[in-house]
Amino acid sequence: MSAIAPKFKLSEFIKSLLDNAFWAVLLASLIGLPIIQIVLFYIEMPVIDGELLTPFLALTWLADPTRSLPILKAFMATDMFRVMAFPGFGFAALIAAGTIFIERKMLAKLQLRVGPFYCGKIEGILQLAGDGLKLISKEIIIPAKADKPIFWAAPVIFVATAAAFVALIPVAPGWVVADIDLGLLGVFAVIGFFPIITILSAWSANSKFPFIGGIRALFQMVSFEIPLILSLLGVVILTGTLNLSEIAASQSSFPWIVFLPVGAIVFFITMLAELERIPFDLPEAESEIVAGWLTEFSGMMYGLVQLGTYLKLYAFAGLFVVLFLGGWNGPMVVPPFPEELLVGVELGPLTVGPFPGLPLFDQEMLNGTLWFVLKTVGVIFFILLPRGVFPRIRIDMLLSLGWTKLIGLAFVNIFIALGLLYAGVLGPGGLQ
Amino acid sequence: MFAFGIAAMAPALIISRMVSPRKRSNPVKFLPMECGQVPSGEGRTHFMMQYYPYILMFVVFDVMAIFLYAWGSALLELPKSATLPMMGFLAIMFGAMAFALYQSGRRRIW
Repeated sequence: MSAIAPKFKLSEFIKSLLDNAFWAVLLASLIGLPIIQIVLFYIEMPVIDGELLTPFLALTWLADPTRSLPILKAFMATDMFRVMAFPGFGFAALIAAGTIFIERKMLAKLQLRVGPFYCGKIEGILQLAGDGLKLISKEIIIPAKADKPIFWAAPVIFVATAAAFVALIPVAPGWVVADIDLGLLGVFAVIGFFPIITILSAWSANSKFPFIGGIRALFQMVSFEIPLILSLLGVVILTGTLNLSEIAASQSSFPWIVFLPVGAIVFFITMLAELERIPFDLPEAESEIVAGWLTEFSGMMYGLVQLGTYLKLYAFAGLFVVLFLGGWNGPMVVPPFPEELLVGVELGPLTVGPFPGLPLFDQEMLNGTLWFVLKTVGVIFFILLPRGVFPRIRIDMLLSLGWTKLIGLAFVNIFIALGLLYAGVLGPGGLQ
Repeated sequence: MFAFGIAAMAPALIISRMVSPRKRSNPVKFLPMECGQVPSGEGRTHFMMQYYPYILMFVVFDVMAIFLYAWGSALLELPKSATLPMMGFLAIMFGAMAFALYQSGRRRIW
């Protein structure tokens, strides 16, 4: 460790922290207090509940749960919160970060290594944060002949498209960013953008290895998109809707994987191919073409592409769960909230509560999220597992696999679904 | 969500650009990666066209797959007799796909 910062001294570090704190307090009092005085003198403040609203009163509201909780709850009902935090970006990024850590440790265990070990003392749990800091502080090198605007934009658009994919996945009843009627077609539209971004970045880099990798990615994603689309048709035939929330809700008694295992297997294989994971990682085959279409990305650009890849992985796993494993449906395991907490408690001199909006999340939503996350983590485990087990396949094997075997199996799945429907097992008059 | 992704991720690149060191350049530094060799020729090279028929097939059969969705999502409201023309469509399509696969397998003509 001493090699990293040879002149590091704890006392000087603490001194610098205290210095910074001193300057922060000084500046806040020199600038902030006059601003408050100016507000009090010159601006007409409204009168609320017979009290003049002063900045100090506003500060006391922050400490009062009866006032701040409804504000928090109202904020959680907005689209902003959904996009940024819960079913959207923050939640997906959290799962993606966990996935990266689990992948590295699990792969290491499969190959009799230890994996990340030192960063963060406990089994290298801070390795990801360390990698992020490293990536953000590295210089971004762009090839001289590259098409610079497209090359800069490609990682950002990649992450944004992956985020748009995440937005379509319902996590709990009513908890989805974009609840559109043609959700499944929206998923196909978003998936269709990934090869375009890949080929754009590969072409703009003006380098040989990215170019070969981009062409490979194009072939692979294009030839696996049709089996992917066809393997989900069985679910649509049986549910009669394209809305992902309704598809998840339709599996309250049994998941579709029970009746459509062929479709689930085909979808899983095409999912591996669309995610460019081993055994289908030809676009970034690191032992043949340095890193494929990622070769010229350096620093944070590479970090963004990795983030987008793992967001995509979470979104595909979530899509598998929603379509085949029943989404948020599962036995109710979250206990109901105790009534006393809602009414309010007396703690000696203080009376705490009653809190009007204390249960920020209702029981159904917590239970749904729990089951969704459990199933998604299981699917992610099975996506990660082949990386330690299988070798890479050849491109002609890949194309013939996608175009003959998987499409054939997808049609078998469609006929199974039609047979179940017309035999009266499922659908109107059937089990449902 | 797409806009939020752009709005949240573009600052990461900007911050990285501000934080990271930018050393003096030398002529080799900004050349494309070629495993340590000085690159020769253009970056956008010729590539084999032998898998090109799969792209052509994609253009046709992707549209077909989306048409099947229009049928599949409305199937519960349709009468059972409406499935027969669809089976005819699929049969024609299987023939076309088999022919296209056979032709794309003949590497000699590509």
